[in-house]
Amino acid sequence: MHMKKKAHFKADEARTDLGVFKGLEVRIGQIVDDEWDEPMGPTPMPSPTGLRSWDHKLLTKYTPSYMPYCQVCCLCTFGKCDLSGDKRGACGIDMKGQQARIVLAAANIGNAAHLAHARHLVDHLIDEFGPRTDLIQGPGTEIHAPVSRLVTGTRPRTLEDASIILDYCESQLAHTLSATHTGQEGSWLDFESKVLHVGMIDQVSMEIADLVQISTLGFPKADPEAPLVDSGIGMMDLNKAIILTIGHNIVPAASITDYITEKKLGAKVEVGGMCCTAWDITRRDPSAKVIGPISWQLRYIRSGKADVVVVDEQCVRTDVVSEAQKVKAPVISTSDKAVMGLPDRSDDAIDSIVDELVSGKIPGAYISDHHKVGAVATKVALAVMPKRRKMKFFPTKKQIQKMAQECKKCSECIRSCPNDQPVMEAVLAAQTGNFEPLRDVYRNCIGCARCESACPNDYDLHSWMVVAAEADCEAETYKVRTGRGAIQDTEIRSVGQPIVFGEIPGVIAHVGCANYPGGGADIHEMAEEFAKRRYIIVTSGCAAISAGHVKDENGQSIYERRGGEFDAGCVLNVGSCVSNPHIAGAAIKIAAIFAKRNLRANYAEIADYIHNRVGAVGISWGAMSQKAASIAAGFWRLGVPVIVGPHGSKYRRMLLGKAEEERAWTVYDARTGDRVVTAPGPEHLFYAAETVAEANVMTAKLCLRPNDTSRGRSIKLSHYIDIHENSYGFFPEDVWNYIRRESDIPITLKDKILAQMKENKWKERTIPDPTLLKELVMGGGK
Amino acid sequence: MVMRPVPWQTGEICGPDSAKSLNKATQLKRVFTKSKKPLLIVGSDAVGMPHGKGDMIDYAIALSEAGKIPVVATGGAIKAFIEKGFEGAKSKGAMELANYLQDESWPGPHGKGPHDLILVYGIPYYMQWTLLSAVMNFGTHLAKVTLGRYYQPHADWSFPNMKEKQWHKTLDEILEFVGGGK
Repeated sequence: MHMKKKAHFKADEARTDLGVFKGLEVRIGQIVDDEWDEPMGPTPMPSPTGLRSWDHKLLTKYTPSYMPYCQVCCLCTFGKCDLSGDKRGACGIDMKGQQARIVLAAANIGNAAHLAHARHLVDHLIDEFGPRTDLIQGPGTEIHAPVSRLVTGTRPRTLEDASIILDYCESQLAHTLSATHTGQEGSWLDFESKVLHVGMIDQVSMEIADLVQISTLGFPKADPEAPLVDSGIGMMDLNKAIILTIGHNIVPAASITDYITEKKLGAKVEVGGMCCTAWDITRRDPSAKVIGPISWQLRYIRSGKADVVVVDEQCVRTDVVSEAQKVKAPVISTSDKAVMGLPDRSDDAIDSIVDELVSGKIPGAYISDHHKVGAVATKVALAVMPKRRKMKFFPTKKQIQKMAQECKKCSECIRSCPNDQPVMEAVLAAQTGNFEPLRDVYRNCIGCARCESACPNDYDLHSWMVVAAEADCEAETYKVRTGRGAIQDTEIRSVGQPIVFGEIPGVIAHVGCANYPGGGADIHEMAEEFAKRRYIIVTSGCAAISAGHVKDENGQSIYERRGGEFDAGCVLNVGSCVSNPHIAGAAIKIAAIFAKRNLRANYAEIADYIHNRVGAVGISWGAMSQKAASIAAGFWRLGVPVIVGPHGSKYRRMLLGKAEEERAWTVYDARTGDRVVTAPGPEHLFYAAETVAEANVMTAKLCLRPNDTSRGRSIKLSHYIDIHENSYGFFPEDVWNYIRRESDIPITLKDKILAQMKENKWKERTIPDPTLLKELVMGGGK
Repeated sequence: MVMRPVPWQTGEICGPDSAKSLNKATQLKRVFTKSKKPLLIVGSDAVGMPHGKGDMIDYAIALSEAGKIPVVATGGAIKAFIEKGFEGAKSKGAMELANYLQDESWPGPHGKGPHDLILVYGIPYYMQWTLLSAVMNFGTHLAKVTLGRYYQPHADWSFPNMKEKQWHKTLDEILEFVGGGK
């Protein structure tokens, strides 16, 4: 790609023949990188069809299995159209096309959220620090921004470069979003290809968002020893005024911690976060606290402990204002994406806004000027705190017991519960003063409060659960490691070979939301199971919080007892949602550093490398959002399989392989050009597991890759067999299929496996230099 | 308690098609008579779910033995079958099944197919809902009966959020019907 010269001109006031311009800013051209000697690869800034042939390879191997979540289409006034059976809608679309279209719509929404977040950050930081501000990922990260390099063929070195890369992302999102319009794309295959495209764009958008905030806001920079910070409801100090921040965008929250530091108010006020804002404020200021994941919002607001609630963007409860009003806590909304119906006080004087909020004249205010947010939130919190601490917001157990007598036993609370929790039985037990069942429900509750909405008696059932589990809330006192950011090149150098050869059996990433089917402790259980087997465990987002919310017998969290390096047996938190590309980036850097592959605009080759060699698996056990969908799609295009919890089946399609179809598992041997049948590895690309047991078995299995050395294959199979036997109670029947040579057999299980091989008429196979791309065969595959 | 054939989880409404309400075992007579190769699918929630003197895994074993119906367990429920000494069950993921069941020529987990009828229960409600949606839309060669207590609209026949006692009784009648029970 030809890189044009760029120009940038900014002036407070410019007098020209055309007139006088105030606040003038002119920007021309694209990123110039004359010093980069890596040759430009084949696909710089690809269009929505630029990597279509790669997508089709993946989608042929992992054919979408659709499970329509709705049989009708109601997106235009032709409809509603009944698409059941083999019917088509008025526009001509069929059921599979419609399902793929909705998957694309979800991925577009998810990417829009990350991309708009990134754009806000970049624009804000350019205003604060100037366009030429350097972007620095940290020591030992020469290959900084690996995803951007891979996709765009450019190296973002300044905030201005970041802005140009976002221009590209925005154009791609417009294209993929437009494809969902009536009468555009018609084939499920092309909808799905665009899902992968927008997933890739999402990875770039998130990488830019995290890179710019790491570079400018004092976050840990690729630091394996990022600080351990306080976490959990019980960690919040009620002797101080408490400001609760919810969402994903650091800018308003940073204004609060900065104000508290500047005014030396740390002894009087503290800031706690929920969801990804929690990670990002603690990355900037480790004295801030991570209260909990997204599903803790309601329980914490209802407790009345937060004196002010500040919301930014994404995953914020949309009833936050009415909930906060119940406990007389003012709300400050700060994002133009989530104004929450509040009056705009952005241009008012700080003291005037404070007066209105403290007096209760308004329930909250929208303040788009982030410089004001810190002062307003802190002043309001300090002013309302003394009065609020005397208030009681939850009913007593006695009051609950009395109210529970009127239960109509209609079961509507159970029917509305996503996890089918026995809410009604718990209420009936409370009638007799037994609160243990309500406490049990709390442990599995995702805080949606649908039970309350459904209750004909308008019981505040979620509050009742919190009252029943008061002791559990107070005992929520953990230490979690805040987000370290990128993985260092030096770390990749030491683990690249053992990962590619299979001797470190896998890299497992726990990411995403908190829509858990049975409580957050599952995340810890899964992470620990594989960490103790010396897999590398990476975490981010709400999953990273839940992983740390279990103590061992010594009272330590997983982050306290395990190192934060990118190494076998370690558990490292990269940070918030937008930190996920550091995980993809680590896989990409393995190809660059260990295999010396060119990254620059060389997407298909690198994805092919990762897919066939790097035993990485993403797990989003509580995946809920459209953002989780776009994040997963970004991993799929790199050929990395993703497992979700049972609620993930509602994403309405899986990407599944069929182990017995040999043709699907055929690769080119890059050395000879021969077509070689390999074992089905990874067997699936997107999979919803019903239970933790199933997820663990599948995780171990999906780490298998065609390139494993015999030693690596033997290690991976040992873990797969062991976990399978523990979880399912029997020796897996498909082990023979993963044996290529006898040297692949785990030595202690030789007799059993040899018998299975004999029974299945096993034949020795070659271990290829695997690739799905004919052009990578030496000599061009001719 | 709702006693109507409406989705048990209130938001899980579907499209134009919905299952017939299964109130008596005899309603399944035609389904069983017509089916030559049924498959029983049992999910993880069946483990420990009481029925009679045992649980819904025991019920699956009894049904399988009485009707010579092969069993496939999902979500790790296989372990409970093995612990009870029943060796005939196979294990598959619910999502893998949802995929395979769309294929008319799939020989089934025991290689005894292709199947023409599935009997399902024990998968978490919403996940069973999605599995059945795949079958309803793309596995139209299959008849679908759910044996869980709660109404699954994507089946052909489903209990209508039945009272627990009545549900257990009807389950026993079905078992008798296929040649098992007392």
